[in-house]
Amino acid sequence: MTVQYDASAAMEIVNASAPGAACVDGGILFLEPDRLVEAIQALRDSEESDLIFLSNLTAVDQELHFEIVYHLQSLDLNHILQIKARVTDREDPALPSLTGLFHGAHLQEREVYDLFGIRFEGHPDLRRMFLWDGFPGYPLRKDFLQMPGQVRAGLPGFPHESEENAWPVPGSVPQRPMHPNDPQPEGELVVAEEGEESS
Amino acid sequence: MTTADDTQLAMQGTIEALTTGDGSEPVVVNLGPQHPSTHGVFRLKVTLDGEIVQDAEMRIGYLHRSMEKLAEERTYTQNIPFTDRIDYLAAMSNNLAYCLAAEELLGVEVPPRANAIRVMFAELQRVASHAMANGTFINDCGAWHTPLFHMFRDRERVLDMFEMTCGARLTTNYMRIGGVAFDLPDELLPTLEQFLADMPENIANYEALLLENEILHARARGIGLISPEMAINSSLSGPVLRATGVPWDLRKANPYCGYEDYEFDVPVGEQGDCFDRFLVRMAEVKESLKILRQVVDTLPDGPWLADVPLHARPDPGESYARVESPRGELGFYLVSDGGPAPYRFHCRPPSLINLTALKEMSIGGTLADAIVTLGSIDIVVGEIDR
Repeated sequence: MTVQYDASAAMEIVNASAPGAACVDGGILFLEPDRLVEAIQALRDSEESDLIFLSNLTAVDQELHFEIVYHLQSLDLNHILQIKARVTDREDPALPSLTGLFHGAHLQEREVYDLFGIRFEGHPDLRRMFLWDGFPGYPLRKDFLQMPGQVRAGLPGFPHESEENAWPVPGSVPQRPMHPNDPQPEGELVVAEEGEESS
Repeated sequence: MTTADDTQLAMQGTIEALTTGDGSEPVVVNLGPQHPSTHGVFRLKVTLDGEIVQDAEMRIGYLHRSMEKLAEERTYTQNIPFTDRIDYLAAMSNNLAYCLAAEELLGVEVPPRANAIRVMFAELQRVASHAMANGTFINDCGAWHTPLFHMFRDRERVLDMFEMTCGARLTTNYMRIGGVAFDLPDELLPTLEQFLADMPENIANYEALLLENEILHARARGIGLISPEMAINSSLSGPVLRATGVPWDLRKANPYCGYEDYEFDVPVGEQGDCFDRFLVRMAEVKESLKILRQVVDTLPDGPWLADVPLHARPDPGESYARVESPRGELGFYLVSDGGPAPYRFHCRPPSLINLTALKEMSIGGTLADAIVTLGSIDIVVGEIDR
């Protein structure tokens, strides 16, 4: 049975070669984006962790930041470790590429770049993969598009179509037109005073 | 289909040829998007020097259906049919991997009968998928449909069993969070018994037809080589990884659905070439039949579906569940924010990641070898593009 590799043991391995690059929060290993390659190389080459197989690489848009999630597996010791790195810059998110360590990161990083717009610095061939060059926006971001009947807010149309569809300021809640079924906005109801009615 | 950069590349070649004076220039050939060798809407752009592949670059996305985005707006149960359409040749395995991830998130206990039925259908799916993979691979090697249709005959019987159980043949939508949708119909077990009785002879026939075949050896032996170290570093999985001699099978390494109770071996190859991948798939079919025999003999009674609400709302958290699909390590990474729909739905597609090493496997070989190599990886474009 594959066991979860202990995050604090992994932190010790990382901090031995790259001090301060790792921390553990809620049982999950977080790595500093700047020192990611160094830290993951330590985990890959250490005999105790032996994480030589990059099982999965993906990203999650947590609205205030992007979380890049790595699953690394040891084939001989049969354990798996989940690693996360956070990127807070939404305008131009960037992270070092793992392609120097794992050839298997190639297409997975391209996929994340295509759908989230996160640049992987040092990737030899970082181009869009599923979507064409010049596709407006990055669809897996949470603020991408307002689809009919969608639960979460997004842009009302493609960004290039009109000014009203322009990308929102980072951090702000994306606005969309009111729908009759939407809950009423909180706050005071403004009632027009007498005498102010338009003639 | 010629694009601007193709033209530019050809121009460069002309200039190089003129300046170096060897009189030759590289030719860019597009295999696909519609091409019999590409098994779907997939384009491989190869740069050729004579007949030798200098560069191979894939262009994908023709079948991109934005499944991961769509799944963020549908409930956990509504997402199960999407997983059929991710890998339409192994729908059961995809259903299973997604349901395991959702169950991990919800903390659901699956009844033993459901687990046995899941193993049964996952292995039947493996037989069907490997029949397709090997059949089309031999077509790529130059056979004219005879082995393919022999193998399709077996696949057809598996699909018939799917149809009698869940009403669908390809996009089965059979697994549910907490078990399977329906119990086995009365006519399934006799049909399966007959299938298990017939298959050893069929496989012996295929082996007699193919294993000593000189053309197959000439086309597939020593072609598309990859070393075990490179395979692991490229995150390859499934028969492509095992053909290099690495015995990595998630059914053994991380047993799910009670695979630890069944006896089976993990076939591995020796050289990591196209022929080894073919042999590994052939041997895996035999192992699947062994597992099916044990499942039928030990099929427990009881409920086949745990009590899970249709609009389940898991607690905030995340899960990553993997199964050994016919194509390799198939994983689903789900993130929940406590709502009725997954906050993030990610599929780890073995077909896409196995293609990482296609360039390394093809360069230096001939164009015809590149087609055989592509066939031996056994891609499903629905899973590559999602």
